[in-house]
Amino acid sequence: MIPSSTIGEGDPARSRRHARRAAALLAAGFLTIAAPHAVMAKVGPKVSGTKVSATKAPAAAKAATPAPLPAPPADGIMGFVMTSFSPAVHIGKDDCPEGPQGVLRDHYLETLPAPEATRLRLKVNEEELTSRWKKYAVGPDDTNICSQPQLFDRPPTRFLKGKVAQGINLDGDSGNGAGVPNGCAHENFFGPDGEPGVDNQYWRVQGCAEGVRGVNDAPGETTRGLNQFLLSGEHSQVLILRGVDSLVRDDDVEIIYANTEDRAIVDSNQKFLPGASYSVTRTPQYRNVLRGRIVNGVLTTQPVDIRLRQTWGQGGGRDIRGARSEWALRRSQLRLTFQPDGSLHGIVAGYQPLLNVIQSPSIGGIGAATAAGINCAGIYKALKLAADGDRDAGGQCTTISTAIEASAIPAFINDRPAGQKVAER
Amino acid sequence: MSRALSSRSLSPSPSGRRSPARWLAALALIASPLALAACTADKAPGGAQASALSAPPAPLFTGALAQVVAMRRITESQYRNSIADIFGTDIKVAGRFEPIVRPVHELIATGGSASTISPAGLEQFDAMARGIAAQVFDADHRGWFVKCTPRNPKLADSACAAEALTPLGRYLFRRPMTGGELAAYVKMADAAATQTGDFHMGLQLALSAMLTSPNFLFIVESGEDDPASPGDLRLDNYSRAARLSFFLWNSTPGEALLTAAAEGRLTDAVQMAAIAQKMVQSPRIEAGVRAFFEDMLLFEKFDEMAKDNVVYPRFNADVAQALPEQMLRTIVDHLIFRDGDYRDLFTTRHTFVNRALGPLYQVPVSQSQGWVPLELPAADERAGILGQAGFLALYSHSGRSSPTLRGRAVRELLLCQPVPNPPGNVNFTAVQDVNSKTLHTARMRLNAHNTDPVCAACHKITDPLGLPLEKFDGIGAFRYTENKAPIDTNGVFEGVAFSGAVGLGKALAASKSTTECVASRALEYATGRHPGEETDLITGIEQGFEKQGYRMRSLFLQIATLPQAYRIKAPAMGTTPAAIAALGATPGGPTKIGAQP
Repeated sequence: MIPSSTIGEGDPARSRRHARRAAALLAAGFLTIAAPHAVMAKVGPKVSGTKVSATKAPAAAKAATPAPLPAPPADGIMGFVMTSFSPAVHIGKDDCPEGPQGVLRDHYLETLPAPEATRLRLKVNEEELTSRWKKYAVGPDDTNICSQPQLFDRPPTRFLKGKVAQGINLDGDSGNGAGVPNGCAHENFFGPDGEPGVDNQYWRVQGCAEGVRGVNDAPGETTRGLNQFLLSGEHSQVLILRGVDSLVRDDDVEIIYANTEDRAIVDSNQKFLPGASYSVTRTPQYRNVLRGRIVNGVLTTQPVDIRLRQTWGQGGGRDIRGARSEWALRRSQLRLTFQPDGSLHGIVAGYQPLLNVIQSPSIGGIGAATAAGINCAGIYKALKLAADGDRDAGGQCTTISTAIEASAIPAFINDRPAGQKVAER
Repeated sequence: MSRALSSRSLSPSPSGRRSPARWLAALALIASPLALAACTADKAPGGAQASALSAPPAPLFTGALAQVVAMRRITESQYRNSIADIFGTDIKVAGRFEPIVRPVHELIATGGSASTISPAGLEQFDAMARGIAAQVFDADHRGWFVKCTPRNPKLADSACAAEALTPLGRYLFRRPMTGGELAAYVKMADAAATQTGDFHMGLQLALSAMLTSPNFLFIVESGEDDPASPGDLRLDNYSRAARLSFFLWNSTPGEALLTAAAEGRLTDAVQMAAIAQKMVQSPRIEAGVRAFFEDMLLFEKFDEMAKDNVVYPRFNADVAQALPEQMLRTIVDHLIFRDGDYRDLFTTRHTFVNRALGPLYQVPVSQSQGWVPLELPAADERAGILGQAGFLALYSHSGRSSPTLRGRAVRELLLCQPVPNPPGNVNFTAVQDVNSKTLHTARMRLNAHNTDPVCAACHKITDPLGLPLEKFDGIGAFRYTENKAPIDTNGVFEGVAFSGAVGLGKALAASKSTTECVASRALEYATGRHPGEETDLITGIEQGFEKQGYRMRSLFLQIATLPQAYRIKAPAMGTTPAAIAALGATPGGPTKIGAQP
């Protein structure tokens, strides 16, 4: 919560002040800068609908009287830094009737005859069980289920059974997807507001995994970890919106969606501060250019392939810490809602290559399987079965629709257009 | 010429070392009698290696030392700068410095004149000295400072030790050592070398003793008969060299100044003026101006500044670290780089920000690292040094702004008008209730508080200068309202009404008190003594300041060359050996406090 003493109270004069300051700097010859159009105003906590987790956006709730949106800056350029970026969670009571996805130990026991499984579950046989399920994680020639999940033919992990999920209708289909060019048949979701045809087969696979779904309204490890990576700079992301004439309706907006190498500027509670400055990455492939439109305060972009950096940890390259990978979201769309406090909240959706979904435990290797109990091979099998994009010649879809829940707050973003030489110290 | 000098005056080699050719070129420059001109752009002392390389060793002090008339403890920054200048910036100074106590309403510079060193403080100095000496004579560095080759590196070598220690002593003590001092340090080095079986260990011990000598830890000012005023004293040449160097550059005197002192040029008004003129034109004046304003504006308070992170979550360590630096960058940019009018320091819209401060000021910062210039818009309500978050945060409480603290700071620090402390039985309830349902703003709360006439008497002095800054909260962030109530920023100063931080800045800029105050502070800072009732002298300095368009360089030059500043008013403390003995050292020998060599 921003203290009342530091907020703009929605005074339009403040926006003008910011614009004047930014204009002064620009006039002084500094870089192109996307300015935050308004400081975070004092608002209450985000409203949670009955079917929406604690992390859900107020857009999903039925506000009686929507608060007015601030005016865009005079130059139409707005900057944001991502403050959350993790799988879009929707909690439905019928999602996981068979229980959570479970861990490798459970999955191993399920492969055994019931009497044997019962025997091994006895406390006295714990050591034998541990030894056996850990062996279940390895294969011949020093392979293991996380480093080489595609080499193991394991039963798929449990699928989510619910009908509702967050996401975007990426393929334009509201049926079963069978007729989608280059796609595969799948059971679409309805959105929390009843929108049909929502594509989020990732949630179908991982929606019952406690690390993703969370436990008792607490966010899961995946959510916490990915958002921590935004803070630590491992995949910090920024947005620049250009040509914004209105936050209510604008038919043509350019969006720069990029990584930044700058560490987050945070308060003493490790919360992102609005109005901080970030520079777009020097790596051109992680500077994505999108086009979109704003309708009723919702920015929606046209499908485009998006690549973003993802560094797992900050160590060197000799072990998993510091290993580099990336987010590859094919035919990705953003659907972000402008909030009265100046922030953005919504969905980043697209099709992920299957192995990208489990790249973190894959990098972790055998440790991810035997220490964290992640059944990479089982998840991979489930991903293959649920995959709904980029069908190969053999009829197997190679990507899976995914919805990421994202939030961003106003920031000053220094752009680095491709080919621009920026003088640096 | 020191290694540090080389790093500034010459392009360093990739390894950070100077090439021999460049080194010799620099040496030739410094060895010239006219080398002072070169020093204006150089680091100060730099003589250690020059002396070591040149044929004749640095001279020893002959005759009796002059009468000690004042001793000032060097500050932490002066210590660090001295070490960097003498030994090079890669010599690390690690340790905690015992603070110099600031006398009430005065400067740390005057506190240094009455400062002693406690046993615990001396332990710290001793630890730092040993660390420095170990680095200076380690295998990587000793070649810069020991040009002779000991007959046997495992044995004592008095001649080589004397050759190495003589120039170092001259830079550390800011005058040549006496024969007795050198003999004692060499004796110490020899004894340690014999005991350890390592010639360089002996040098380490001798150097660490020199670094804990009062002759290094204190700026010892000596007097001599003043021919212009028989019977009176004036500062001698070496004391003037130290005065000039510490005042203008905040570091120890360099080769050029020590040479000028040896040649008696610093007691010649014309020659001294020429030297001071070059020094104030040097880029190194930035260090002097920074140090002066750090002292004048009580920057030591930044070390203890704390904010309630519930009230001000955006205040973090990075912000705290950036605030004083932003103020100093603004000050030196305006006063030195732009050669601006001191009065405009209160209205300037030029400042600097880094990424940490960007959110506080709500401005873009175009670089990921470092500082970038910021010119505030003409209509911005923040301007001048009083509008800087550093000043506003420093003079606030941990969880709320304080018009009283801010007004008092303006009065005391910028106008030199001391404000009495509040009585001990004040009821602060109304002022501290920042969530009052009826008294929404600080002005309302202070008005309620001031219904007590005892309180009102002082608040009339402070609050009209603090309330105009109320649109900035306790960490200096802008706000339109307090508790949703509009903030009244009207104020009055010297009978003139104004509004807001910009108005306050203009009011201060228009006041003679402002310029008289900084003139007085500069004199106090240079001399280490409070000017007291010398109003005529201050007025005269201020008039000179005015004639020069209130340029800081001109003020520093005026004070650096002011004859009165070198006249001795304080009673003499006695001769150097006696004074040193009073501090617990050994007269006539190595002067390590509280310990024999």
